[in-house]
Amino acid sequence: MIWRNRRKKGKTGKQKALKPSKQEQDTLFKHITENEDQLRMIYQDCSDVIFHAFTIGGNHQALLLYIDGLSNTEEIDDSVLSPLMTATESDQEQQVDTLIKNKVAVTDTKEVHTFSDCVQAISAGKPVILADKSSTGLSLGLSKWEKRAVESPEAEKVVRGPREGFVETLSVNTSMLRRRIRSPKLKIQSIEVGRYTKTSVMITYVEGLADNTLIEEVTTRLNRIDIDGVLESGVIEEFIEDDPYSPFPQVLATERPDIVTSSLLEGRVTILVDGTPFSLVVPITLYSLLQSNEDYYRRFLMSTATRWLRYLFLVIALLLPSLYVALLTYHQEMIPTSLLISMAASREQVPFPALVEVLLMEVTFEALREAGVRLPKQVGSAVSIVGALVIGEAAVSAGIVSAPMVIVVAITGIASFTIPRYSTAFAIRMLRFPMILLAATLGLLGIMLGVITIIVHLATLRSFGVPYLSPMAPMHFYEMKDTMIRAPWWKLNKRPRLTGKYNKYRQSSGQKPDPIRGEE
Amino acid sequence: MMERGKISGLQMAILLYPTIIATAILLVPAISGKFAEQDMWLSPIWASLAGFLTVYIALLLHNHYPELTIMQYSGKIIGFIPGKIVGLGLLFYLLHTNGVVLREYGEFVVGNFLPSTPIIVITGSMAFVCALSVRGGLEVMARSAQIFIPVFMTLFLVIILLLFPELRPANIFPVMDDGITPSIKGAIVPSQWFTEFFLIIFMLPYLRTKEKRMTWGMLSVVAVMITLVITNLFSLLLFGDITSKFTYPVMSAARYIDVADFLQHVESIVMAIWVVGVFIKVSVFYYAIVIGTAQWLHLSDYRPIVFPIGLLLIIFSTWVAASLQELSHFLSTVWPFYALVFQLVLPVLLLLVAMMRKKAAENDN
Repeated sequence: MIWRNRRKKGKTGKQKALKPSKQEQDTLFKHITENEDQLRMIYQDCSDVIFHAFTIGGNHQALLLYIDGLSNTEEIDDSVLSPLMTATESDQEQQVDTLIKNKVAVTDTKEVHTFSDCVQAISAGKPVILADKSSTGLSLGLSKWEKRAVESPEAEKVVRGPREGFVETLSVNTSMLRRRIRSPKLKIQSIEVGRYTKTSVMITYVEGLADNTLIEEVTTRLNRIDIDGVLESGVIEEFIEDDPYSPFPQVLATERPDIVTSSLLEGRVTILVDGTPFSLVVPITLYSLLQSNEDYYRRFLMSTATRWLRYLFLVIALLLPSLYVALLTYHQEMIPTSLLISMAASREQVPFPALVEVLLMEVTFEALREAGVRLPKQVGSAVSIVGALVIGEAAVSAGIVSAPMVIVVAITGIASFTIPRYSTAFAIRMLRFPMILLAATLGLLGIMLGVITIIVHLATLRSFGVPYLSPMAPMHFYEMKDTMIRAPWWKLNKRPRLTGKYNKYRQSSGQKPDPIRGEE
Repeated sequence: MMERGKISGLQMAILLYPTIIATAILLVPAISGKFAEQDMWLSPIWASLAGFLTVYIALLLHNHYPELTIMQYSGKIIGFIPGKIVGLGLLFYLLHTNGVVLREYGEFVVGNFLPSTPIIVITGSMAFVCALSVRGGLEVMARSAQIFIPVFMTLFLVIILLLFPELRPANIFPVMDDGITPSIKGAIVPSQWFTEFFLIIFMLPYLRTKEKRMTWGMLSVVAVMITLVITNLFSLLLFGDITSKFTYPVMSAARYIDVADFLQHVESIVMAIWVVGVFIKVSVFYYAIVIGTAQWLHLSDYRPIVFPIGLLLIIFSTWVAASLQELSHFLSTVWPFYALVFQLVLPVLLLLVAMMRKKAAENDN
């Protein structure tokens, strides 16, 4: 019985939190004192809410409400309070609602009829005016709060390309997108997520390029989220993924408006979240996670070469330590004799088998990396010196690890940072450890089985319905132009098939520059 | 619909290619060499005729019942009970053959690379990985094959290129010294690999487009034939008469590779690549068993039986033979006829009955 009662309680509690309480839904009263009492009850113990009572033209009683620090007080004084308080006798003839509307010099005003509307407006930083003998209030778009300046994104650096990154304020971010795509086809839909935080989340897409079912899917998945609060877009990411148990990210998180713009133009949908510079792009493929935006700004030959370098180092980041273990433990014959002798010589003093040596060093490296992320600037140099000693000369001369091992760990570490997306690099780095264990138990065969498992897993993955390994599997030869190589811009005439099939061509063909054509 | 995924014609061809090649590439050169000697490179061409025939028959059967696999239409063709009996026999054959394939793989790895590892670890780990891909469905298998096969083929070509300096072209002569007969004799056992194309029956209903399925099926046979001709030719040019004395001529050929004293002893790499082929082969057979069993029992989903059948598979791989010698004896004596019955004779008989039934139905009208 007790259990049953408790369950019931839990259920009702949930419903309560979902719906605004009954008091707030009440429409505004006619009398200002009643309204004030009600609002004071709602904002009990909220010392930052300002209740400013004044009279309009010395006649009508009125009340101005706003939250300190969220609204522009200078504007309130200049264009709201002073015109209203100095209203003349002739103005008094008008109804009080019209009087306020005529006198207030603010662009974004909106009538509010209920207490919940009032609360919503006030929380968003919009001051609300309530007048006596009127059950309609007016909210004023005078929100203003401290914002971080637009800066170059720390985690996604480029040599060539725009330097500005998203900030924590949603309106700044949407303005950055709007500045890049000026067409009215750029749609920005807003929804609210979070019972308490009421975070605004924007679904952004270009009409006519993005698949309607995709937009619907994104909207339903976002609407399904019912949590206390959205702290960062990562929280949303975990709620909308296709396969929550996969180590691979199925959503692209970026703070670069140029990446978002190009994704929107390929028919993808972007989710902007208030309070974080990281926006989410869906759907994505593995290959789009391995591309850098700079690939498209540099000369295409260099970009192609860089892409191949990245693919190579992806494999190295995943496999080099396990290959080292497999070769040393099972397949010594594959190492050329002279190299084998020098390796054996350097391993002579080392007391550990290759597996322990590799695990020791890789875990140390991961620890150093993790420590480095959170390091205060002042101690940074100290840790890097210690790190260099641990993974380096001192460790070798102390006879704890062999010199080739240090090289392997260092190359692997560098390799994992050539992957442009941090979350992808993380997945690869973590998968390295099971691969090392497989290599230690079954040699090259174990590595192959591990690779097969990873590929099978990647083949099952989908991001919002798009196969993760496309365009390699399923294969689309045309799109290899933008994965295996980076074809010159005048060759990339079609959008990616799976996201941009509604509007296939993104530019007219035959735009290859040609000096002869210029002379015509 | 039990299988929700759809594959393309190209994906079907890419799945079938390693299904045949994976074990054929290891064993066919020695078998053909035994009978055909210096004409062994011709044998795959004759053997491929069996492949073309199998694919053609499978397609004709498929045209009669475009939405069904053999497990479903065998009942429609020869009646419910006989259909179930044929289905059970076929399932047993597939399970048995897959056990043989898994055992061959295990014996090969244990014999050449990991001598002190228990064979059950090798076969068990492979069966587990295959179960994962079969659980993902035909689409997932096709996609993983699409990632692996380009790598597989590239490395095959690299190995062939690296072997070029070691070849002695004179080994090929005299061409057809005793006429055409030896090369045909050398084609008899390898033709059973080509009849494995019969597995196309389990994929045809799940093709996305109905056009070009004949082309892709036949192209796959041609690709296998060319690969085997190249393999046989290179074994012949490298080893000459003694090809048939090796158990795995290709693996021995890989030992010859030596570039600038640096790139040598690459047989472990060859093995690693070959594992990918075996993975696809076992997966395709495994998939046929699983989807066949599910259809035989009229289940609504095949996923729950994937892992139990995997266990059966491991047990079969242990039971098929007591030793490698017994296994190769079975493979060279019983298996060709056994395979012929289920992979070619059975479909042909079903097709004949189906055609007669259709005629009879037309006459009735």
